[in-house]
Amino acid sequence: VALVFLLLGITLVSFILTQMVPGNPALASLGLDATPEAIQAFDARYGLDQPLPVQYLRYLQHLIHGDLGYSQQTLNPVAHDLGVFIPATVELAVTSMIIAGVVGVVLGVFAALKRDGALDYVLRIVSLGGVSVPVFWLALIAIYVLYFKFGILPSGGRIDVSATPPPHLTGLYTVDAIAAGDWSLLPDILGHLILPALVLAAFNVSVLTRYTRSTVLEIIEQDYVRAARAQGLPERTIVVRYVLRAALPALVTLIALMFASVMTGAVLVENIFNWPGLGQYAYLAATSLDLPAIMGVTLFIALLYVTINFIVDVLYGVLDPRIRVSA
Amino acid sequence: MRTFYGDGRRRLFLLACACAGVAAIVGWAASSDNSARAASGGTLVVDNSFVLPTLDPEGTAGPTQQLVVKAMYDTLLNRTANGKLVPSLATSYTESPDAKLFTFKLRKDVKFADGTPLTSADVLFSFRRLINLKNDESALVSGVTVSAPDAYTVVLHSASSNSALPQILTTASLAILNSKLVEANGGTDAKDASKTDQAARYFNTHSAGSGPYVLGTYTTNSQVTLQANPTYWGPKPQFATVVVRNMEASTQLLNVQRGANEVAIDLSSRQASSLQKNSKLQVHLSPALSTFFLALNMNPKVSAVTSNPHIQQAIRLALNYPAELRIGGPGAVRAGGLLPPGVLGNLPPSAAGAYNLARARAEVAASGIQHPSTTLSYPSGLSVNGVQFSTLAQQDKQDLGAAGISVNLVGVPTTPFLTKYLAGQLAMSQVYWYTSYLDPNSMYTFLPGQPFSERVKWGKGSDPSLEKLAVKAHTTASDTTRAKLWRQIQMQLNKSGPYVQQFQPAQAIVGSSNLTNVVLSPISTLDVAAVGSK
Repeated sequence: VALVFLLLGITLVSFILTQMVPGNPALASLGLDATPEAIQAFDARYGLDQPLPVQYLRYLQHLIHGDLGYSQQTLNPVAHDLGVFIPATVELAVTSMIIAGVVGVVLGVFAALKRDGALDYVLRIVSLGGVSVPVFWLALIAIYVLYFKFGILPSGGRIDVSATPPPHLTGLYTVDAIAAGDWSLLPDILGHLILPALVLAAFNVSVLTRYTRSTVLEIIEQDYVRAARAQGLPERTIVVRYVLRAALPALVTLIALMFASVMTGAVLVENIFNWPGLGQYAYLAATSLDLPAIMGVTLFIALLYVTINFIVDVLYGVLDPRIRVSA
Repeated sequence: MRTFYGDGRRRLFLLACACAGVAAIVGWAASSDNSARAASGGTLVVDNSFVLPTLDPEGTAGPTQQLVVKAMYDTLLNRTANGKLVPSLATSYTESPDAKLFTFKLRKDVKFADGTPLTSADVLFSFRRLINLKNDESALVSGVTVSAPDAYTVVLHSASSNSALPQILTTASLAILNSKLVEANGGTDAKDASKTDQAARYFNTHSAGSGPYVLGTYTTNSQVTLQANPTYWGPKPQFATVVVRNMEASTQLLNVQRGANEVAIDLSSRQASSLQKNSKLQVHLSPALSTFFLALNMNPKVSAVTSNPHIQQAIRLALNYPAELRIGGPGAVRAGGLLPPGVLGNLPPSAAGAYNLARARAEVAASGIQHPSTTLSYPSGLSVNGVQFSTLAQQDKQDLGAAGISVNLVGVPTTPFLTKYLAGQLAMSQVYWYTSYLDPNSMYTFLPGQPFSERVKWGKGSDPSLEKLAVKAHTTASDTTRAKLWRQIQMQLNKSGPYVQQFQPAQAIVGSSNLTNVVLSPISTLDVAAVGSK
């Protein structure tokens, strides 16, 4: 029930905010030379000639039946568009978060264990750079070096222009290629995925390194860690079983929020790498005041955050027995 | 003592394994990419920065849509790179002396990509659908009715003299559709097509034309793949596949230098000029069909400053045109009038007024307004042919400030900007105009009482002599007379009125040196079907 009210509130706020933007969707779609007749026909087709409360209630009526309406730009059902664009972003975001999670946590642990050593200083400087560098700049530099200078990786797109995408199953090209048994496509797909994923991961690697370092430093000062050391347990056992495990709930929360942020904020990277994902779709919708598409994207983002928070809550119980017991 | 990291040798081994793993993945990917490229000899890649929400030929036509649609569909007439009309689906046509009646004879050997023969019924359906969709492009055939006396003859009747019609017929919006196929997929040419036509979505997954290519795949705003049409009636295109990718200009700059069979069409003229010495590339700079200008609101209630004739004159004299041309980049030319080069009746740059700061100050003094101050609005974040509106607006502010006109710059995102601009609410706007067909009648919209002039509140009756001249030019059949009349109109607009034209930028096209026919095509930018390889 709370979720229903939450989503209802989100639709209402999105609808009101979109209406407050001083722009005309018909003009945004039809262009500078739109005739009054064309504008009238556009408004009638999308119900924009109706009073605002009627427009909103109609939207809700359709929403109840799972109908998110039709995009005024692509002319497709918004649900269909989301089904096309979301998998591309999921593939990019998951890859990026795997890179960020593994590299960020490992480097953070190393930095903490080597506190104030040379490695720690280097990682602190690098991670400071990582959070300071604008993502579009990093993307351009990455393309310049890895594509233009050395020709190691392609500059953009999800697959080579001469290749045919794998048969659609999930929309995740890597998964679809494996499912179709088309192993020859996989290197091409991975090659296109690596660069945008690395660029997208750079910021999160830096944040995770810094965060992991400070969390681990806090934990290794705890009495139970000292006790473990005093008992002569191997350092690896102490780090893996005691320190990392204690750090995991906080890290999982951060990684989950980062994933949601990457899913919804990859617009710059998607544009630069011509990655046809949710960011590009949201940008097109926002700049053309495509109300059904804006509402569809907003609802998806809201659902995403709610779902991720729910998963994190469940994971807390798994990772921390104290929570499970108290619950 | 053993540490968490293990002993030195083990650490080294792990590090080596990690490095080898990363290298293997990257190498695997890189080798695959190279092999894919090598195998793509039959693929032409066109990098373009675009917004392309739909592929309906009769939908709103941006430059990329023109490029893609012209590759998949034929029009009755075509035009060469220098704007000359040539036959296409119509082998010939006749025009009545009053330019109201146009009779077209169609080719009899044309089949659509699905094998259906093309007849006059398809032309009728296509034009009537466009008229009845009542969209932005419908205005191109306003007042035109269409009939078909037989299967291979089409007659267009214009309510008023319309010498521009043959040029209009070359645009992508006038593409000829496979009527049976489109109707079977929700299309209609009925009077209520604006509400009942459902074919637009079909065009996003299929093409329904007779052109040299058919639609392969289309990802909204990302990529369009075209495949050669095996049943095409004309010369076979050399490339089996054409891929039009949405790429930022900065990435285009790198792609075109590294790739093979690549064309970049969104580089600024400055970026393109930097590649002139690269032997692997060919660089072409041609005057674009767009004209940058300042639009001054004529309504004193909106702005007492911009509506003052002396201030308008002062603005014309105060703009430092050489400095603005530098912003336009190499290849930009001073606009003699609103019509760009290549269009009948265009004026040479010398016809435009010159920068004269002393006279500008005198005009400000004569205006009777103490310390005139106004607002200059522009679409922030927008650039055309590599020219940033924000940069140009800053130059305007500096120039007008030197003449004693204080300017407050207001950058507005494009959509809200358009809303206010089209409603005629802005005092002064930095804008541009892109002619949608190569005929002087396209600038009729700027004259008092016409759609464009509404944006600057220049209503009907504001300048009776000019309006009379414009009506005459718009409805005259003779090209010689029309050219003379449109020049006269532009000369008059250069002296007074709400438009201060600045320059026409250059359109840069850069391609791999092995390609042939990489030339600017009017309106559609590049004729991809004509591009070949040496």
